[in-house]
Amino acid sequence: MNEAAVNEAATQKPTAEATGFLYPFLDAEERDQDSLLADLAASARAKARESAALRRSTLEDCAGLVATAAGELARRLAAGGRIFTFGNGGSSTDAATLAALFARPPLGRPLPAWSLTADQAVLTALGNDLGFELVFARQLIAHGRNTDIAIAMSTSGSSKDLTAAFREARKRGMYTVGFSGYDGGEFAESRDVDVCFVVRSQSVHRIQEAQALLGYELWAAVHERLGEQGEY
Amino acid sequence: MTALVTAPAIDSGLGEELSADLAAAALVLARRFAAGATLWCLAPAWEPHAHHVAVEFVHPVIVGKRALPAVAVTGPDPVAALRVSAEPDDIVLAVAAADDPAVRSVMRRAPAWGLTTLWIGGGARPDPGAADHVLWLDDPDPRLPATGGFVLLYHLLWELTHVCFEHPGLLTPAASDCADLVCVTCRDEGRLGEVIVRRPDGHAAVRTAQGEELVATMLVDPVEPGDLVLVHAGTAISKLTDEARP
Repeated sequence: MNEAAVNEAATQKPTAEATGFLYPFLDAEERDQDSLLADLAASARAKARESAALRRSTLEDCAGLVATAAGELARRLAAGGRIFTFGNGGSSTDAATLAALFARPPLGRPLPAWSLTADQAVLTALGNDLGFELVFARQLIAHGRNTDIAIAMSTSGSSKDLTAAFREARKRGMYTVGFSGYDGGEFAESRDVDVCFVVRSQSVHRIQEAQALLGYELWAAVHERLGEQGEY
Repeated sequence: MTALVTAPAIDSGLGEELSADLAAAALVLARRFAAGATLWCLAPAWEPHAHHVAVEFVHPVIVGKRALPAVAVTGPDPVAALRVSAEPDDIVLAVAAADDPAVRSVMRRAPAWGLTTLWIGGGARPDPGAADHVLWLDDPDPRLPATGGFVLLYHLLWELTHVCFEHPGLLTPAASDCADLVCVTCRDEGRLGEVIVRRPDGHAAVRTAQGEELVATMLVDPVEPGDLVLVHAGTAISKLTDEARP
């Protein structure tokens, strides 16, 4: 493939990962697996460094917000509040992991938290009857009390089902915590969101990795505050 | 509460060995997918990880990347679910601690089912050879599964697998790899099999990587469905002790 063709192939894939341009030669005769393996390993190390740097800077940037949110979560949990987490796709699984960390922690006291994507019957009933935009908002109408907490994880920060849920949560007096990426999306601007953690990256994967660590930090900070309040 | 442990999760980085293991696992994964395999994901103690891996492959976040068959195996008996679902040459990926009983059971049976195995986890490592590819973080903190460390590993696995698809010439195994495979599986010194059903005549239907076969069991009787046996020349020559059976 000549250079022009290589450039063209590279520009045809603007959404592909940054490593794509390293391998534009779609060579069916290629046999050098060792060279590919070395490239893959180097790429993995570079991405891991990128992820670590982002996680470190995100924790620094968000330290104040984590403390603020942890204080309010601890206050509400001590008063009988519960946590509801939700998100879409991979973010829904990270939200479910955070709920599991609160509810079934390997160390420390379990606290009431659950994921709003856990029940397929509820999710499909609401999606089918009301539209996907309301799958979480409707559940908060059913469950939400003014002592409760809503936590949504998203990379865009603008998914309609999540912003609708925050609108409902705000209406019901719940405390709302949003995780987003890029420039923060609608979460960052919304008056329905009490605290918005923004992971400043353009990569969905790196955003999710940093959000997972932020969620863990939030959980740990909540336990510290509960300890200070004599809740142990 | 013990002190927070996030520093290691951030700072440990990815060593030479782990990055090489990831690369090798990604190439095998891409080859299996290219040959039509399904990826079965299980994470019994932290099930959302199984769902995250599955959605990653089925519905890629990067536009233009191909959708690949991946399934989260959940519920009370993942061993039974995989036994009935997985086909020879499929892949199983576990995200679990080394002492997870269901995952240990799956990994022991995988050779009889003809599966390639990947195991992501942290803390104490599985026994050597417990899985074909072990991608491990050595941080012993039990909260590690909730820090994003495993998310990074399976994200990288997905990213590297898709880079491999840009190298179609490398998606069929090299001749030397084939030879190795034949040595292990075809010289018939002792292939792993799982008993499906016992027959009254001193035989049992046994599942091996080659399919279902009728095997003489008089040397190892009594056998029960689910027992693992070594098959040599049409005969079960020994029964594997099953200390990991859940």
